[in-house]
Amino acid sequence: MGVGVMAEKPQLINVQIDGVWHQFPRGTRVIEACAKVGAYVPRYCYHPKLSSPGNCRMCLIEMGLPRMGPDRKFELGADGKPVVNWMPRPQICCAQDVAEGMGVRTSSPLVEECRRGVMEFLLINHPLDCPICDQAGECRLQEFSVEYGRADSRFLENKVKKPKRVRLGSRVTLDDERCILCSRCIRFCQEIAKDDVLGFTERGGHTTLTAHPDKPLENNYSLNTVDICPVGALTSSDFRFEMRVWFLKETKSICTSCATGCNTIIGSREDVVYRQTPRENVAVNSAWMCDYGRLNFEYLTSPERLLEPEVFSVEKLQPADWKTVISHTALQLQHFSGWDIAIVASGRMTNEELWLTTRLAQYLNVSLIDIVPRKGEGDDILLSQDRNPNTNGAKLILGLQSKPGANLETIASGVAEGRIKSLVVLGEDPTKFGIPIEQLKRLPSFVVINILRSSCTAYATAVLPAATYAEKRGSMINGRGRLQRLNCAVRPPGQARQDWEILRDLLQELTGHNGLGSVEDVFRQMAESIPQFAGLSLSRIGDLGVKVMVMPEDSTTPVPPGEPVDEEIIELPPLHARK
Amino acid sequence: MTAAKIPAELKRQVNAAVAQYPAEHKRSAALPLLHLWQEHFGFITDEGMKWIAEKLELQPINILELVTFYPMLRQKGAGKTHIRVCRTLSCAMAGGYRLMENLCEIAGIVREHDGIHNPVLVSPDGNISIEFVECLASCGTAPVCMVNDDLHENVDPNFTADLLRPQPSTLTFQPPSPHPLERRLVFKNIGRKDWTIDIDCYLRDGGYKQLKKAVTMSRVDILNEVKASALRGRGGAGFPTGVKWSFIKTDEKKPVYLICNADESEPGTFKDRYIIHQDPHQLLEGILISCYALSAHTAYIYIRGEFPEGAKILERAIEEARENNFLGENILGSKFDVEVYIHRGAGAYICGEETGLIESLEGKRAYPRIKPPYFPAVLGLYMCPTIVNNVETLCHVKHIIAMGGAEYSKLGRPGNTGTRIVCVSGDVVRPGYFEIEVGKVTMGQLIYEMAGGMKFGRQLRAVIPGGSSARVLRVDERFKIKEKQPAGSTIEREISIDEIPMDFDSLAACGSMAGSGGVIVLDDSRDMVWALNNINEFYAHESCGQCTPCREGALWMKKITDRMLLGGGVMQDPATLKTVADNIAGRTICAFGEACAWPTQSFVEKFPEDFAARATKSAPPPLPPEYTPEELITEEKIPIVPLAHNPGWEKAGASGVV
Repeated sequence: MGVGVMAEKPQLINVQIDGVWHQFPRGTRVIEACAKVGAYVPRYCYHPKLSSPGNCRMCLIEMGLPRMGPDRKFELGADGKPVVNWMPRPQICCAQDVAEGMGVRTSSPLVEECRRGVMEFLLINHPLDCPICDQAGECRLQEFSVEYGRADSRFLENKVKKPKRVRLGSRVTLDDERCILCSRCIRFCQEIAKDDVLGFTERGGHTTLTAHPDKPLENNYSLNTVDICPVGALTSSDFRFEMRVWFLKETKSICTSCATGCNTIIGSREDVVYRQTPRENVAVNSAWMCDYGRLNFEYLTSPERLLEPEVFSVEKLQPADWKTVISHTALQLQHFSGWDIAIVASGRMTNEELWLTTRLAQYLNVSLIDIVPRKGEGDDILLSQDRNPNTNGAKLILGLQSKPGANLETIASGVAEGRIKSLVVLGEDPTKFGIPIEQLKRLPSFVVINILRSSCTAYATAVLPAATYAEKRGSMINGRGRLQRLNCAVRPPGQARQDWEILRDLLQELTGHNGLGSVEDVFRQMAESIPQFAGLSLSRIGDLGVKVMVMPEDSTTPVPPGEPVDEEIIELPPLHARK
Repeated sequence: MTAAKIPAELKRQVNAAVAQYPAEHKRSAALPLLHLWQEHFGFITDEGMKWIAEKLELQPINILELVTFYPMLRQKGAGKTHIRVCRTLSCAMAGGYRLMENLCEIAGIVREHDGIHNPVLVSPDGNISIEFVECLASCGTAPVCMVNDDLHENVDPNFTADLLRPQPSTLTFQPPSPHPLERRLVFKNIGRKDWTIDIDCYLRDGGYKQLKKAVTMSRVDILNEVKASALRGRGGAGFPTGVKWSFIKTDEKKPVYLICNADESEPGTFKDRYIIHQDPHQLLEGILISCYALSAHTAYIYIRGEFPEGAKILERAIEEARENNFLGENILGSKFDVEVYIHRGAGAYICGEETGLIESLEGKRAYPRIKPPYFPAVLGLYMCPTIVNNVETLCHVKHIIAMGGAEYSKLGRPGNTGTRIVCVSGDVVRPGYFEIEVGKVTMGQLIYEMAGGMKFGRQLRAVIPGGSSARVLRVDERFKIKEKQPAGSTIEREISIDEIPMDFDSLAACGSMAGSGGVIVLDDSRDMVWALNNINEFYAHESCGQCTPCREGALWMKKITDRMLLGGGVMQDPATLKTVADNIAGRTICAFGEACAWPTQSFVEKFPEDFAARATKSAPPPLPPEYTPEELITEEKIPIVPLAHNPGWEKAGASGVV
């Protein structure tokens, strides 16, 4: 405590773990040190991002400190290493940092006996309703039972009765009988969400987790408690009983509901997304994400999804095959000069899509191009005021000189005055930035590339159904200048296609050239022109992204709580650096 | 009830209570405010919780956590006369359960199951309410009960009607003349006919002379005297006080706090009660000398909630001392400022654990802290250096200053110096307190000479020598102890229970401990399963529930002994009891783990015949599951139960239908 940041190389501490000496940086938790050398210590209450109450007692190990000689120096053994004075009692290793000459035993008979004892205690009053428990398959009780559980129960008493299916808040449901009282959720609410609403009532074996009825768990981070709950006590009301977790395919992706770009895992089965959970990235979201972003995937299966391409022909908009729609759209655009066309792109598009959009604009000589800004209330935790996930990418790739949205008024007046004869709108709704439906109706050409049907879709001259963030691969730059990658978790429904393919086909139709076989090719082409992407490829971005832009300090995207501010631009993505 | 209806007087008391704590730590006032609310309105309403939370800038859950943790706080009204009957071992042996039954019968209360602390049982006419509580720290006058705030001692279970009539408290004291084997220092004035609790009486007796002397001494000198005295803490662990004090750095920049642990609640112990009620200024003088020595400008006396009278006496003593400039600003012209505050607990044994006490004092559930890193002397109250000492220990400080550390250390035996108060209860003729030179009296002398021997001519069967958590000693055991000879050599000697010297090291050598000095004597009529069950119920009720082994294990052990008593003992039970206890001891956050495991370990090991006699059945086959998964999901899905203010689930300590 109180030690300032030292400029010199961090001092390394010598620790003996299971008989072998290792070195760790000062300040490493013993439990982390053990895990680092392959001696994983089971734990329930310990969470690396939260304080350590040491209450579950699962991480008990044998610990010792070096024996001191009369000269106050370590006594050395035959091997020239300090002789360890083992403490008679087992110690927890989640709340202590490594110390010079410390000894640790993680698999001695005493340690195993301690773990078996704690496992038995945790299970005697547990309902053992694994067959219907949502946590089954990713439950720490199940996991450690394999190694330290008993096959038989010698508990002959009645189990303690506690409340079940308690609505802790609108999104979290609690089964108190499954709760092992590790207090992770309470600490999360206090330390990360800054909303101290959970607590224990009663005491001893009757201790019960709850919230005060007048102040339920309603903060925008409530579902993180479900993630960190090591057992099935806290469940997501949204995901409850929906799917056995072992059937879920896990796809690493990012959240696209704001500029923070929290790293996520999308859980899907057979082209249906069932849940999103945060994935640790200290430079972006620590280990958390907000409920708003997490649950923002219902529109993937909305009845308003655009499922087939449509084109205006014989007085009305009617379905057609992709080939027809693409060639019709190209014809429409070619009919006008660049001055007659305006393109409204979106801060929700990937870099690759934006790149193809600029190429389209360049080919058509369109100079009126913009995105629609999307602002909302932010917080100091993770939620950014900027609700577009890729404003930075749009600014960089589209080469927007002024603030995003500055051209929208010009575009609207151009449409109103009839100067603009063709409007291409990607992923946005023109009525939301000041173009009334009446004017849209009058447009000779109105090309819509979007996911959902909106009030103006009916008046389009071409409708090209696109893919959501979970249905495509691509990259985005978050509010703090980090290039991150989306991965395809499910296939687009119906005839909807990935946006980059639609744009590529349109370009091909217009130019007659082709050279883009995959989204990787698009990135490669883009990286040749945009210096920030030099040397990178879609694969080289890696799972954790790469910092590519230095952002001003007044960025509205918060630094993740409890994590160091990382403003350096790293040269190589971590994945590539690994052997 | 809204804030508008809160009377001005209550508001004034509330503000005064908040002012006792640093402004940035007003959460500490949570328990005092809950007490005030309950005293005024009879119980804690939801509005009360919200009002207090707002007042202290807390969330309502923070208050709900406390109300449900501390058994003295009620969410429902009690009767006009509220009776708390002590349930714990010494009282139970003297007829505590019969007292409870008879009281219920008179009041017309139907008890559904045994051993319930909560809910409070209210008579149909609402006049009387009764609850079982854990040890009221008056085991020498068992059975006892509290009628409202008054303690009634030596209650005859057959004449309970007397209790329901208005009458004064019966706080009694033993005959003033000490037994010849006693050496009274701390208890010199206890029970004296000519003794009153006001400061004038204390001053006439040479009171505060040692404080006056201390403020002329340097702090290091006082510390050296305490070190030289080799005084060991009287709370239970027996840690050397001087060593504890020396953990405070002399150049400490943060404020240093002294906390007097007056949460006396180890079953079998009833010494601090008498100091507080009969000689409060002695305690205060000890505290003030210690504050001066530690440069602690603030001291808190954490007094258990069941001593309401004691808290009032200490409040008055503090005011008297202030009037005499013994505390306050610039005491006795020494330029040293010191304030002493009273903080009342609310019925949680775990507050006797020093870090649990600190958490409780900070306005939280009394969850003991992990050590490392939270050693009180480094990161104690408000994360500042803190010394927690027992009432008796602090009183000894005064005598150390009076006698000089070296002289004091000649009392008792080497390493076990001074005098200590031993409390004897259970099946003896004259239970009570005896102040002895440590180690100068043997167990036999204590039981047969000082306490008058066994009641009704029965034979001794077992002794619990240091509060109920100490390992039990069996009468026919032989113990090996090492004794230092004057020449310096050590000899090993085999002794019987009667020959055990009553000191820290000897009792430890006999496999038990001197603990808090509470000696519970059991005669040959006692069923050891019954006795252990009583102890187990205490620990199951008092476990804070923070860490796994104690939370789950204490309740489990209690359920096993419950079942054995009800005739359902199976052959595996003694072995299960032992292994459960083994899995608790040494693996918990605080020493409560040992406290609840040692009785089980020792009773089962030393009285196998009693346990075998009640463990005769074979274990039943496991029960089939009650529902199919499909049925369970259907039941689980609807309806969702809303959060409730009072979920209506059984409270801690409930038994029978768990």
